[in-house]
Amino acid sequence: MASLGYAITVKNLTKKYGDEVAVDNISFDVKRGEIFGFIGPNGAGKTTTIRILTTLIPPLSGEAEVLGYNIREDADEIRCRIGYVQQQLSFEYYMTVKDNLDSYGLLWGVTNQQRKQRLKFLVDIFGLTDILNKKALELSLGQRKRLQVAREFMHDMELLFLDEPAVGLDPIVKRALLDFIREKVKKDGITVFFTTHIMSEAEYLCDRIAIIDKGKILACGATDELKKKFDAETVLELVIQEKDENIAKLLESVPNVNNAMLSTDGKSIRISVKDPYSQTPKILNALLNEGYHVAELHVKEPTLEDVFIRAVKRGIKK
Amino acid sequence: MNKLFRLLIRDLKSSVGLSPYLLISQLIMPLVYIFILGLAFTNVIGEITIGGVAISYVQYLAVGVVFGQLMLSASYAGAMVFFDKRMGMLEQILAGPFKRYEYFSSKMLSVILQGLFGSFLVVLIASPLLIGLRPTPTSALYVLFSLIFASLFFGSLSLFISAYVKTDQTLNIIFNSILPPLTFISSIFYPLEAMPDPLKAIALANPLTYAADIARFGLFRMNSMTFPYAFFLLPLLSTILFILAMHATYRISL
Repeated sequence: MASLGYAITVKNLTKKYGDEVAVDNISFDVKRGEIFGFIGPNGAGKTTTIRILTTLIPPLSGEAEVLGYNIREDADEIRCRIGYVQQQLSFEYYMTVKDNLDSYGLLWGVTNQQRKQRLKFLVDIFGLTDILNKKALELSLGQRKRLQVAREFMHDMELLFLDEPAVGLDPIVKRALLDFIREKVKKDGITVFFTTHIMSEAEYLCDRIAIIDKGKILACGATDELKKKFDAETVLELVIQEKDENIAKLLESVPNVNNAMLSTDGKSIRISVKDPYSQTPKILNALLNEGYHVAELHVKEPTLEDVFIRAVKRGIKK
Repeated sequence: MNKLFRLLIRDLKSSVGLSPYLLISQLIMPLVYIFILGLAFTNVIGEITIGGVAISYVQYLAVGVVFGQLMLSASYAGAMVFFDKRMGMLEQILAGPFKRYEYFSSKMLSVILQGLFGSFLVVLIASPLLIGLRPTPTSALYVLFSLIFASLFFGSLSLFISAYVKTDQTLNIIFNSILPPLTFISSIFYPLEAMPDPLKAIALANPLTYAADIARFGLFRMNSMTFPYAFFLLPLLSTILFILAMHATYRISL
């Protein structure tokens, strides 16, 4: 497999647990220096893929290279060049935050001086200053996750695997984490393989995305490419003064309007349209002609979540 | 710094953090055994005579308690594998620049060091009772031999169990079911020569008996009924458990 310029190349990778197929013949590449999102619902095969690529478990079949090394033959070469933040909480429960960071740096052979410098830097970035001398078991879930992610940056790496790193973090810390990762990629040129089931995180952070469900990759590309590929539609949300269940039927009769859905209180309606600029006047006219009064109109651009839902639905139909 | 050494330091730091109260119990329990139980029973039992060598009961007991403590220290050290599994550290370490054999080796080294440390604390406590004893280099070798192999046995046993156990409760139940009987059905508290035959048969399969008897031979030239087999059986049993523990560690699925 050619891996020039690629941090990860995966070809026809399959993994089974008993009869259950966890990863089903997947293939993809991750370029060096990019942030690659691997998104999918829980149980889609994201963590299994990461475990194979970090050489923790062997695949049933298929090939993969990480940083130019074969996962079967060069596991040691791979593991000393990667970072890994696992989905499960992981740290020394009975050590303080400071000892956790220092001890992890020591494990990786980071010098005493570097450990001190990095510890100081990371404590500041991840907001751990006030809890530095607290034992990990005394921390809240969010604090533990922050510690776990911060710890991984105690050592140098070429490729970082992040398995749902933002779960349990509050929005401010989450944003700080994503920005830090982006900065790290820009500054140090590392590659990031990022899994999440929260689409907004992936859309904010990732250069390219692969959507995985039931062990299969349904789509792969940049967010905009995926939106085009899956005909993700803009959603118009209209707040109507009159409460009437027939509005949905009326709107669906307008050409190129799909999926008009009335809210439970009957006052707003969501419509999916491919071309909002040409469709909106037609929709408003149709409503006015029938005597309805539109109080508000909101335009919602398609999100990665819309793409994801479409991709999964198509996957199910296939 | 060597990878093995880094893993060892991490393990020792983690063990101390996990069980700071264990250090205190390592001082209190031997104190109770030696200075309350030992001195009280010395008045009742007086001396223990085996193979023509007579020592006070409290001296006999003090050596036994060293090994009882060693068993606890080594077992707790071996149980760190369970906590590494449960707390995600095993997966984290194995996704890093370490091989399984390095992880296992660091555990075994940690087990021996913690076992020796636990027994050293008891030796310190019991030192007033050992005044007058003149250990020779040979007697020190006997004691060291028994301490290292006993640590290896109990550390391996604990590691083997920890590799398979999935919950805290199961680990506690197994430890509480195994360790007290091993302590009491051995030559820690009383010589095999004084035991009823059924218990004697069990005690003869217990490495704690061999370890304590070898140490007493080294210190007092007390020739137990387990001789000379003890010198062969203790390393043999320890090696078997070591291999089983290694196999179990390699089989831990992530």
